[in-house]
Amino acid sequence: MSEKRNPTSKNAFPTLKESIGSLLIVLIALSGVIILSFLLSKTPSKTLRYFFLGPLQNAYYFGNMLNGAIPLIFGGLGISLAMRSGNFNLGGEGQIYSGALATTLFALYLAPLGVVGAILALFIGAFVAGGLAGLSGYLRMKWDTSELITSFLISNAVVLVVNYLIAGPFMDPSTSLIATRKIPESFRLPVLLPPSSLSTALFFALVAVIIVHIYLYKTKSGYQLRMTGLNSRFAKYGGINTRKFIVLPMFLSGFLYGLGGGFAIYGTYFSSIKEFSAGMGWNGLAVALIAKNKPSMVIPAALFFSYIEAGARSAMLHSDVTFEIAAIVQSIVFFLISSEVLFTLFEKKRRYS
Amino acid sequence: MELAVEMRNITKTYPENNLRANDGIDFSLRKGEILCLAGENGAGKTTLMKVLYGLESHEKGTIRIRGNQENISSPLVANRLGIGMVHQHFMLVEDFTVAQNVVMGIEPRKYGIAYDLKKAVSLVNEAIAHHHFSIEADMLVRNLTVGQKQQVEIIKMLYRDVDILILDEPTTVLTELEIEALFSSLKQLAKRGKSLILITHKLKEIIAISDRVVVMRQGKMLGTYETKDVNEQQISALMMGKSISLSIKHAKRTDESQPVIECKKITVLRQGQERPLLKDLNFTAYSGEILGFAGVSGNGLGVLEAVLGGFIPVFDGKILHDGNDITNIGTAQLRRQGLAYVPSDRLQIGSSLKASVQENIIVGESRSFRKNGFIDQRQVTKHTNDLLEKYSTKGTAQMPIGTMSGGNIQKVILAREIERYQDYIVFSEPTWGLDIASSQFVYEQMASLRDKGAAVILISSNLDEILTISDRIIVLYRGTRVASFVGDEARNLSKEEIGEYMLGIRKQGASHV
Repeated sequence: MSEKRNPTSKNAFPTLKESIGSLLIVLIALSGVIILSFLLSKTPSKTLRYFFLGPLQNAYYFGNMLNGAIPLIFGGLGISLAMRSGNFNLGGEGQIYSGALATTLFALYLAPLGVVGAILALFIGAFVAGGLAGLSGYLRMKWDTSELITSFLISNAVVLVVNYLIAGPFMDPSTSLIATRKIPESFRLPVLLPPSSLSTALFFALVAVIIVHIYLYKTKSGYQLRMTGLNSRFAKYGGINTRKFIVLPMFLSGFLYGLGGGFAIYGTYFSSIKEFSAGMGWNGLAVALIAKNKPSMVIPAALFFSYIEAGARSAMLHSDVTFEIAAIVQSIVFFLISSEVLFTLFEKKRRYS
Repeated sequence: MELAVEMRNITKTYPENNLRANDGIDFSLRKGEILCLAGENGAGKTTLMKVLYGLESHEKGTIRIRGNQENISSPLVANRLGIGMVHQHFMLVEDFTVAQNVVMGIEPRKYGIAYDLKKAVSLVNEAIAHHHFSIEADMLVRNLTVGQKQQVEIIKMLYRDVDILILDEPTTVLTELEIEALFSSLKQLAKRGKSLILITHKLKEIIAISDRVVVMRQGKMLGTYETKDVNEQQISALMMGKSISLSIKHAKRTDESQPVIECKKITVLRQGQERPLLKDLNFTAYSGEILGFAGVSGNGLGVLEAVLGGFIPVFDGKILHDGNDITNIGTAQLRRQGLAYVPSDRLQIGSSLKASVQENIIVGESRSFRKNGFIDQRQVTKHTNDLLEKYSTKGTAQMPIGTMSGGNIQKVILAREIERYQDYIVFSEPTWGLDIASSQFVYEQMASLRDKGAAVILISSNLDEILTISDRIIVLYRGTRVASFVGDEARNLSKEEIGEYMLGIRKQGASHV
């Protein structure tokens, strides 16, 4: 099991046995692609070639694939943190979206401050998203409401509010898009691999992975968070303030989602476009589940998800299938993973009842 | 006489700990009688009844119901054979009415598919009236008292045309009046030809209600007796058995002994239950002394443990530690003020099974963490390995503690708690499930703590343990202190004598310290 961990970093990477479930899911999903291609395409071999090799064939596709993984890494980290503490954050959609909007608006407002303004705007966005998730944690601490439900509901409402703000008060009338104004040039991250939109946000994502890993396995707070998640009765007995580890991990989870949204603005989109982040929140959840909530495994899991999307996009352009093939494959993954999670939950329940 | 149940040579071993819970048990129940199944905790009473009710499988033996040999593989089969069981913990849906709970699974139907709620209410009301119970079918279960909830459970079984009814410790949560009402209902049922089995260890109740009594001890059947032929003392002696002696030196309280933990008139209530879990409990734990709390389960030992551990608040009264008020400050705060505590539930509370041994060791510890919030990895490994060696525990720092044996897990917990104790330490059921050698180890540790001047509080339902190592003994019965013994008095106490206090047959006068 993934939880059999200790504070040493020696086994930051899972053993083969631990990851066999995830590998199996990946294989089943990919065979899904093959089957679908034969069913849906008149030229299955061409479709498959573009699906599997398309994302790797040139700098443009490859860069965009890596770029697509960045918000998924942030989201996957956020979910992993929450899950490690025994909390569920289903509000990623609203958190990433509102974080991105807050970052955009403050970036516009703080433009004169230069780099300081950029950093400030980024953190304000993260705090907004963290606050939303933290609220669900607070409600659970206070009244024992299910954070799974409240984070989902709050997020759904927030998405609508952000939609309104983008289409209403903050819309840029000068473009044909439903979007805010673009952030200043000086705030945009340098492009790494032109002509793709891959930016240096990638490095920030990798740094985030390292920081979360260190936090979880090297610090006292991370230790207490994991102990609370593994067995909260033991944690309480041992003198850990378990109430704190309902709110804090939820806040951090939203915070990471907010950072993901902010970096998407700074690196890729430059303005909050209506529903630009739709799906990123859910995919972040799937990434964390494939990664078994291990920060180091979030990177390959996010790449896998991004690869499927890039492959579908490439197959769609060069062959006769539609982009929905990506959605189908992702839902297969989602389905398999949730059933695995449910299975382990069920096992646990049966063992302790 | 016609036999309702006949069990022959039933043997059941729990593979987890290789414990023989039932060892060649012969058991019979006559039609229309009330039979009490008596024994201490862990005697195997509940296991035997679970076998009869299809909740546990057995390796050997046969079961005959009304003369026919049956294979009872699940409670469903048991129900079909007319066997019902009322568990100690009720299984009711709080937000449903009495009627909805009773008919659950066999709801009356209208037009073949629709749930006929009206009919359910009238049918259940009929059943209630027929058996002279005091509830009504349209009452919400949430609003019932514990005694009434129990009636719902019984009606639930009777509604299913059960004529062999098993009740597991039915009086634990009831008040005296509720017990009387229950007993008169049960006698009514017996008169109508139902056969009843009561699992209990309360002697007064055995005498009051049963026709026959079966006594079990440590998985073995000691005998079946006509209740009119035996008295409470005889049953008590059978249940308790002979003492095994482990030698531990005792200490005398000296002038240097200081009060460490003082509990002043603490009372604990539970919502929806009339009888307090603890009532006006007074005691002081002194330094250099092992204070033992004895009692049969359900009489307040577990509650006392939860109070000392900070898991449940007291409703009234005060707890002082070295003169400082520590009433209701919560576990985290208690820990900071020096609580060391070996809990009875070592697998769910005392350890985190999926976490590594070292992660289990360093919880709540300060040395292993640096000022800047990081873990001092070298210190953690060193500390853990030192402790494993000092307490001669087999295992490594990195392995998940859940892969260790029960005895070794307990050693890790002991090591952790003994290392952090300041002036008092609480042990609850410290040797439960351990073999003799491990138990001896635990006792030696406790004695050495006592000799170093610790105030040791032992909470145990194991009488041998209490008598072997306590310097002073307090007996709890139904949440109150019914007796206490100091010095020679405690040392010369016989098992039978203390057993009588535990079972509520005897009570000391209020003047006793």
